[in-house]
Amino acid sequence: MKKLLALALALCMIFALAACGGGGTSAAPAASGPFKPDGPVTLIVAYKAGSGTDGPARILAQFAEKYIGQTVVVENVDGGSGSIGWSQLAAADPDGMTIGVMNLPNFNNSIVNELGTYTTADFKAICNHVTETSIVIVRADDDRFPDLKSLVEFGKANPDTLKASTNGAKASNHIGAQAFAKSAGFSYIDINAGGTADQLLSLRNTESDFTVVKLGDIAGQESAYRVLGIFGAERDSRIPDVPTLGELGYYKDWLGSSRAIVAPAGVSDEVIAFYEEALKKTMEDPDYIAAASSFDTNFLDHTATAALIEQQQAFAESLGDDFWSF
Amino acid sequence: MLETLSLMGAGFVNALTPINLLMMAAGVAMGIVIGCMPGLSAAMGVALMLPLTFTMKAETGLIVLGAIYCGAIFGGSISAILIHTPGTPASAATAIEGYQMTLKGKAGKALFTACYASFWGGLLSCISLYFFAPLLAQLTLKFRSAEYFWLSIFGLTIIAGVSGKSITKGLISGAFGLLLSTIGLDPVTGAKRVMFGQAYFAEGINTTCALIGLFSMSQVFILAEKKIVERAQATKFTDKMSLTRDERKMIRPTIVRSWLIGNIIGILPGAGAAIACFLGYNTSKQFSKHKEAFGHGSIEGVAGSEAANNAVTGGSLIPTLTLGIPGESVTAVLMGGLVIQGLAPGPELFGKYAAMTYTFFAGFVLVQFFMLGIGLLGCRGFAQISRLSDAILIPCVTVLCCVGSYAIHKNILDIVVMMTFGVIGYLMRKFDLNTAAVVLALILGPIGEKGLRNALKSSGGNPMILFSSVVCWVLIALCVVGILSPMFMGKLEKKAEKEATGADPESPDEVVDIDVEND
Repeated sequence: MKKLLALALALCMIFALAACGGGGTSAAPAASGPFKPDGPVTLIVAYKAGSGTDGPARILAQFAEKYIGQTVVVENVDGGSGSIGWSQLAAADPDGMTIGVMNLPNFNNSIVNELGTYTTADFKAICNHVTETSIVIVRADDDRFPDLKSLVEFGKANPDTLKASTNGAKASNHIGAQAFAKSAGFSYIDINAGGTADQLLSLRNTESDFTVVKLGDIAGQESAYRVLGIFGAERDSRIPDVPTLGELGYYKDWLGSSRAIVAPAGVSDEVIAFYEEALKKTMEDPDYIAAASSFDTNFLDHTATAALIEQQQAFAESLGDDFWSF
Repeated sequence: MLETLSLMGAGFVNALTPINLLMMAAGVAMGIVIGCMPGLSAAMGVALMLPLTFTMKAETGLIVLGAIYCGAIFGGSISAILIHTPGTPASAATAIEGYQMTLKGKAGKALFTACYASFWGGLLSCISLYFFAPLLAQLTLKFRSAEYFWLSIFGLTIIAGVSGKSITKGLISGAFGLLLSTIGLDPVTGAKRVMFGQAYFAEGINTTCALIGLFSMSQVFILAEKKIVERAQATKFTDKMSLTRDERKMIRPTIVRSWLIGNIIGILPGAGAAIACFLGYNTSKQFSKHKEAFGHGSIEGVAGSEAANNAVTGGSLIPTLTLGIPGESVTAVLMGGLVIQGLAPGPELFGKYAAMTYTFFAGFVLVQFFMLGIGLLGCRGFAQISRLSDAILIPCVTVLCCVGSYAIHKNILDIVVMMTFGVIGYLMRKFDLNTAAVVLALILGPIGEKGLRNALKSSGGNPMILFSSVVCWVLIALCVVGILSPMFMGKLEKKAEKEATGADPESPDEVVDIDVEND
């Protein structure tokens, strides 16, 4: 009886050990000619399973298998505000068997905040996957602010009174609120609510007066909020009545977040070309498009993506103390 | 209303998938095994199994954790009845009558009673879960920064309740936990705090690793330190595991009373299954028509204790799920699992996550039936397991601790953190400090800090904002109750224990020979 139990326990442990194995496949780098992966491809996501980054990445991975010709394993390496996963990606073998998702501008902020030891030079861009644009919103039943101008005027007349919830200190939506308020010339109080869901909750329970989120964040609950303005050079076709901030004379550049697909810097150009082609086809696949309706797919080639990463890096570095003070 | 009912129904449909049913059975069996081994506690079991649930679908993972919780609370009664050693403190009162029955050759009857009473206690406690949880969750819509600050303070008052003999030592443990909770990025300015130059600590100490270390690894050290001795032979029993119709009828009022007691104790923070079992036992004695049977193997006594401790499970999930305030150490561990599965406490629980929540509730109801079935069928086998030598247990648990913490992020630093906390936990227990208090502070510290600093920021530094709403005052009142009730509860427990055993509860020949770690 006792021996049997011991055996059962041992089996249980072997099972547990096996559960965390896997992913240790090695592959010889392609010597020459066009690259083709010869084993499962690992896609590193720097946030946990089920997170906002994880969902779209998994949909991409699922439909990309057809064009890559191999299984694509999503590996969630979270922690350190994303920097643990990006550190791991930067250090991965540049054999084309490991690629990853790079969140912009979070990735750039992690460099500015010295969370990781990597720089943009440690990665090579493959393509862009998702782009989401920031918007300024208030509660739908808040009659004080029918439009962006009324919000700004109220803010100017009452400095340090309006409250804006953010998704973290100096995180993407805090940057958005700051950029808007600074360009419009009013000061406000930022409330770090934690995540995007808490940010919206803080607005709904009237602790905050306005907030900046991404357009996709309010999908399905549009009636609860009034969108006052959108960041970017042009209006969005889904909300054609909402003016851009630039139209009204405030912050005129695009702001939002992007998710690029990148590889460690050492990979050959063949590897980049292979994945760029395969992922482009994936994002044009009707099955993918049907599955990916909840977020904004935006394919950009590797040159444009590399430029976007550098531009976001420059922007993140420009956000010095001047940006954060009024 | 109709929508809610259909959501509840859909919950059952979702819960009834083959994989969920399989996992319920496995979770309950695992829980019973952990519960009936005197060295392992329910909190430790849940902590140990937490990482294994990460790869599952959210609702499946939650159901497994719930199943382990229920199973462990019931499992403690098996060793209490058969070898006079409660597997968890929650079954301490069961040992009194249960072992007497065993001596009279009625072990089967005692085990059946324990299983039957646990089932009803657990099942009835689900009613309150369905009824109160949505109401409480709705309340959190009114919570702003100031309210969150008070909520965390309210949660921290539980420390007084879980800290057993010395409140001072509980407070020391809590302060230590709060200090640890400041590690990571500053929630308001984003500045780096005590991160030892490691980006790894940017999001603070990994609560799951800390839990596994504090509860499971430290227990290994404690076990390893003791001389390995053979446990008493479990009594072989031949009588049938059943109750007559009259006996069932007799314990019915006892079960209902114990359910109410256990359920209320469960909802109250700071009081757990250990207190509930004694209160349930005493109440059954007071109301019994067969008082003479008590002390000589009363089935009412066994039923009173076991129905009460399992009624705690459903009750204690209410504040954990809705407010994020775990009322005792098992739910504190469970909380780690909930957060990782993406179930955020608050109004979204019955809004955005309603499907998942109701599936979990339905699973929790179904788990009770599995507990009844597996408990009745497997009692004889589980009794053997409860005698498993520490020589086998120690290496197994150590491996599971390491594998478990590594599996979360596949980061070797997680094992280092887990081991560090194992040593800290071991030392704390040597000095009678409280590991549950550390965990509570680790979870609640950041909520409180963010709440306070955001509130003061939005009021321009005026502290009156902390007293500016009705909800604030209600929470402040609850804090006062939270501080005072453990003192009252402590007295109640001592009194109950004294009445139950008829002797000083701390006398050495008494049944409770396990750590008075509350769970």
